[in-house]
Amino acid sequence: MSVQASDDRAAQGQEEKKERAEKIDFKMVTFALAGKEYGIDIMNVKEIAHAGRFTYVPNAAPFVRGVYNLRGDIISIIDLRVMFHLPAERKEDNAQESLLILQIGDHVFGVVVDSIDKVVGVARSSVQPPHPIFSDINIRYIKGVIENRDKLYIILNVEKLFAPAKEEDESRDAPIRPTQGRQAGVQEPAPAETRKPSADVNVDFVREALWTLRRFGVTPVNEPWFKARYDAWKRERSSGDIQLKDEGDADQFLSGFYSPHTGELWSDDYADRVLAALPVIQARGINVWNPGCGKGYETYSLACLLKAKYPECRVKIWANDSDLLAISMAPNMVFMIEDVPERYHEFMVEGRNGWTFQQAIRDSIFFEFHDVLNANPVPPVDMILCRDTVSFMTEAEQKRLLADFGEKAKEGAALILGARERMPLDGWNDAGKDGVSLFVKTSR
Amino acid sequence: MRVEYINPFVESAFNVMREVLQADVRRGELFLKSTSMPVMGVAAIVGLAGDVEGRVLFDMDKNTALSIASTMNGEDLTTMDELVKATITELANMITAQAVTKLHELGFRFDLTPPAIFTGDNMEVSNQDVEALIVPMETPQGKVEINVAIRERA
Repeated sequence: MSVQASDDRAAQGQEEKKERAEKIDFKMVTFALAGKEYGIDIMNVKEIAHAGRFTYVPNAAPFVRGVYNLRGDIISIIDLRVMFHLPAERKEDNAQESLLILQIGDHVFGVVVDSIDKVVGVARSSVQPPHPIFSDINIRYIKGVIENRDKLYIILNVEKLFAPAKEEDESRDAPIRPTQGRQAGVQEPAPAETRKPSADVNVDFVREALWTLRRFGVTPVNEPWFKARYDAWKRERSSGDIQLKDEGDADQFLSGFYSPHTGELWSDDYADRVLAALPVIQARGINVWNPGCGKGYETYSLACLLKAKYPECRVKIWANDSDLLAISMAPNMVFMIEDVPERYHEFMVEGRNGWTFQQAIRDSIFFEFHDVLNANPVPPVDMILCRDTVSFMTEAEQKRLLADFGEKAKEGAALILGARERMPLDGWNDAGKDGVSLFVKTSR
Repeated sequence: MRVEYINPFVESAFNVMREVLQADVRRGELFLKSTSMPVMGVAAIVGLAGDVEGRVLFDMDKNTALSIASTMNGEDLTTMDELVKATITELANMITAQAVTKLHELGFRFDLTPPAIFTGDNMEVSNQDVEALIVPMETPQGKVEINVAIRERA
């Protein structure tokens, strides 16, 4: 996908969203109970899931099906049909049930329903007050009724429904609940409490899937891109197909994320754009830090770029990556001359196996097997080149690395991030243009 | 750690151990570590100086050390005596020296410090600000972890 197209789509998506937002101010997840349609305010729904084989809890109320381990958190499972004395078909023991995971206050629990339908957006003003003859459910627990596309939905007031039960639940829930899942605590890209519940449940699933499948953490670094991409994705896919099921889906989702010329030498055009964006460097020696250099293509590209622009300067590049296989190849890369853009030819020599970069270029680069999350032993640098690396970390790790960028960068130093990444911290001025995401460190 | 330094250490560890133990030695997956780590019981350390600063640590448990020393000396050693310590020290010296020789051929100037050996229970090494490359070696005598931490002199 070209940059232009994705930008257009992003703009379109935002417009569309705005239009909808004017009319729709209430979203609900709809589901069926004994053949009737119900809705629950989406702000109360944490996620939807399919699960079975709940652990039976002796002596619990009949509507409590048991407890369930949701990625490390123990939650209680309540069967709404039993709770409302509706007919429920008894499934086999290991059959999968449709679950709505609700969050009310601090409590998270699962609710078993017949089937989950979709997310419906409506105007709050069109919700009608409940009427006793509408439902088999005690009117106290009904927020209202609404008609949408010829279907009548009964909106449940889950806060009220589960509030009285909460006190009794507490004694049972409290000892089990604090099992803070390892995943929830450490691995999750953005902790749930800092993230606002999204209006669209699928967003959170996509975020989580990106982390699980590709270790891609959606954070302020790439949030604008993610939002636009998600809107485009929704339009590309049919509604039931938004979630990312496997690595293939995740790669497809991320296909537009990577910066130009990932895994190859920079083209003339891109190299010129980078040069144009870079501030003029006065120093006699230029120190560059290139975390996440991969196989080293971008490192060589930058080394040649700087050598051509500042022939008098001593350029030193500390390039590191934690992928041993990729970085091992970097120091001795061999090229076919046809594959190399014209501008690099003057910096190359022919060897026995093909063309390599000349010693002067290779001497200016230290390729290191190093994990940037460990202590970074780089001297103060004039430039940091770190494309599409920061995004593949947890939010906490990203913050740490970005803060370290601030530590290591000299005043006025340039930071180049991936084309779709932003620097969310203070102390950096956005100086990017023409698809080069560049930030200049300001004086404190 | 510079990529160029990795192979000499891995290769020489592999070659020397295979030669002195006359047995099948296998190398595990390399990885990086920067937290403090427990020492298994016997640790030989060799310092590096010159273009770089750093150290190489050979870590194994007591039984492995005894077993390796027994094999190298051709006799059955059961206590951690001077001979065992001298043998392990020598092994560390041989591996590091061969690696430094290889690096010298590549144009890197390293000097070695005389090896030192530490033994004891519940020991821990910590230098938080240095990242170490761990080269695990599996021998019939037991596991030996080679822990290399080198950085460029700024």
